[in-house]
Amino acid sequence: MKILNADKRLPALPRSIIGHPLVSIVVAGVIIYLALLLGQSADQFLQFSINGIVIGAIYAIVAMGFNIVYGTVWFFDLSYGAMATMGAYSVFYFTGRQIQTVGRGEINNLYLDIFMGILIAGVVAWVLYVWIYPELRSRINRITLLAVGALVALATGAYTGLILAHPADLNVFLSPTIGLLVATASGCVLYLGALSGIGSGRGLILFLVLGLPGALALGGYSGWLVADTLSTRLYLSWFMGAILAGASGLAIYRGVYFYLRRQARSPLVMLVGSLGFLLSITAFIAIIFSPDGRPLAQPFGTVPWSLAGAFIKPFQVLIIGIAFAIFGGLYLLLNKTSFGTAVRAIGDDEEVARIVGINTPVVIAVIFFLGATIAGLGGILLGEDIGIRPQMGLLLLLKGWIASVVGGIGNIYGALLGGFVLGMVENYGVWYIPAQWKDAVAFVLLIFFLSFWPRGLLPRR
Amino acid sequence: MLEKPVAESPWWRSLSNPRLLGTRLSSNVELLINFIVVVATIVFILSQGSGFGIRIAQLFAIFAILAVSLNLVIGYTGLLSLAHVAFFGVGAYSVAILTTDAAYEQVPGHIPHFGLSFFTALFVGMAITGVVALFVGGVLSRFRDDIFVLVSVGFAVISHRIFLFWQPVTRGPFGIHAIAKPEVGGMVIDSRLEFLFLTLAFLVIVFLISWLIVRSSFGRVLMAIREDEQAIEVFGYKARYFKLTIWVISAMMAALAGGITASEQTFIDPQSFVLLESILLVTIVILGGLGTLWGSLLGALVFVLLNEGMRFVPFLPGELIGQARLAILGIVIVLLMLFRPQGLVGRFKL
Repeated sequence: MKILNADKRLPALPRSIIGHPLVSIVVAGVIIYLALLLGQSADQFLQFSINGIVIGAIYAIVAMGFNIVYGTVWFFDLSYGAMATMGAYSVFYFTGRQIQTVGRGEINNLYLDIFMGILIAGVVAWVLYVWIYPELRSRINRITLLAVGALVALATGAYTGLILAHPADLNVFLSPTIGLLVATASGCVLYLGALSGIGSGRGLILFLVLGLPGALALGGYSGWLVADTLSTRLYLSWFMGAILAGASGLAIYRGVYFYLRRQARSPLVMLVGSLGFLLSITAFIAIIFSPDGRPLAQPFGTVPWSLAGAFIKPFQVLIIGIAFAIFGGLYLLLNKTSFGTAVRAIGDDEEVARIVGINTPVVIAVIFFLGATIAGLGGILLGEDIGIRPQMGLLLLLKGWIASVVGGIGNIYGALLGGFVLGMVENYGVWYIPAQWKDAVAFVLLIFFLSFWPRGLLPRR
Repeated sequence: MLEKPVAESPWWRSLSNPRLLGTRLSSNVELLINFIVVVATIVFILSQGSGFGIRIAQLFAIFAILAVSLNLVIGYTGLLSLAHVAFFGVGAYSVAILTTDAAYEQVPGHIPHFGLSFFTALFVGMAITGVVALFVGGVLSRFRDDIFVLVSVGFAVISHRIFLFWQPVTRGPFGIHAIAKPEVGGMVIDSRLEFLFLTLAFLVIVFLISWLIVRSSFGRVLMAIREDEQAIEVFGYKARYFKLTIWVISAMMAALAGGITASEQTFIDPQSFVLLESILLVTIVILGGLGTLWGSLLGALVFVLLNEGMRFVPFLPGELIGQARLAILGIVIVLLMLFRPQGLVGRFKL
């Protein structure tokens, strides 16, 4: 497969950037403009900065998720926008039954609940088949294994359907599941730690004696927590929305992109294929829910904090925190683990990465899952901030792409920086003109950067 | 990647030989597709009566002009442009603004009055669009592949924002009413049938011009650019100027379609020129086939059939028709990319 080098696709630099006179002129102009704004009204300047940082954090989240995918497989995945919409709408779907929002009638849709049950059952069956089945095939009778797997998947599907169809009893059904999940997860983490860390015999004993009761206690406690409070359920729905978006991204990769890439098609074919996904997923969301926009229930209430004459909502602080948390997590993942090394190797040259023994399909699948999860989270945060619409994904995706081009395409540092720069420019840029021109300003910034600074602020390599 | 055309006897030979026709139909998917689409159209129009037929034909003609002109850029030159709707809109708004005179105005507004006749306005509008396209193309000619797509999306979004918010000229979300009808030799064309003939005449002109372009040496250079730009530069052709020329020609054809649409509907507003329309146009071109003019006509036909045929699907509420159409088109595009990336009758794979 021919993987195009990132540098080859961008137009060549006119001259060395640092010495370019235009750069100094632009930088001087920006500083003068900002000073002018600050002199005009300091309060307003602060308010615009806060708005810029908050929206910039959302752009940065989307751009980071987009960039780890783009920097690995080097094609522009338009269905990424649909994943963001999907995340936001699943939060609407999961929370709509407890928290009073508009359009409650369409939430209690029996067919949708059944569909979700089938979907979850399918995902569970697939996971079992891929991960558990090959391990146990040699030891246990094959037919028994298949039957048990199918039963587990069916039970999960029925359980999901039951939870969804009985909104009033959600806590009763949901809290044991969460407890079980947390117990299993912490048990797995402890087991892995014991295997890798302390040694052969003692580690396992330590795990059995200390780890298992601890994991069980933690699971029970978290189950109780979920059953008790309302806002915990909101965050739980965020988690489920992001995971659902990630699973969809993974499914699209495994179902279509995998085969398109195997046929060695050009990036444009992949782009058009992902365009098809964007169109149909957005349309299906608009059909299932409604084409109109609507708000989501806001966490932490809506009372803003006052900060030297400007206002910021507590939730917006959380958005900024999440952006930096994702950045930190991705930094650790990409730079400190062997998985990150594999990802960067595939981004540089997939052919060679496969030859040296990296399991490229699996690594790329995980990257797609991660990217789509982050996209779903970005969509959720934007939806909580300004409301949801079926078409929100396309524009969010484009903003994420602009942010990564401005910052430097293909790495997460550039994505973080570019997101904040884009948010700031949008907000300062519309000081004198009506705020509807924000999108136009963003694209003018893009064209400017691509024409004069095509590698972005922090280029890869 | 071009597939080699298979040397076969011409298709009309098989008409006299039923057995040959049978084997040809089963082996030649393209002929089968053509046959099915055309027959479906005829059956559909016959079953719905002539008024509906005129409607469908009018829609088809407009989409066909847009698709053929877009195919010149995407299919023949290999530039995946999503900015086509911008030129469509500039043409429509030019005609709308240039033909308004004070007497037409029903809603008080501040937009300037020119009061030109339709055909003058159409040509001035095409000229304006040509200048805009020259500028846009100049910026776009620096980019390739997916960066090109992104920047063309940018121009589509910027043009939509201009239509929506530049109120002194475009009247923003209110749209422009009472756009003049064309007048030929003192006779105003206002019945739908007459307008259909006018549009079809323009379609024939556009198709002929495109056909001449494609058959000429100029067209062959364009196809060479699509296959390998650097190779053709080695031979001394300035690929950049060729790309700009075809870009401007295609934009002016889109402006023509825009002007006709504005006059036919007598009302335009920014909602007709959103990015989604551009995506639909690209879908039509790819569906029909890249690098075949006939394929674009076929794609437009399929699209219009899908569009109007959705009304007769049972259990589908009226307000969801548009969304259902998008869902189906999206799935069709994914399947095409998987199994038939050259489109229904195309030869060039993206």
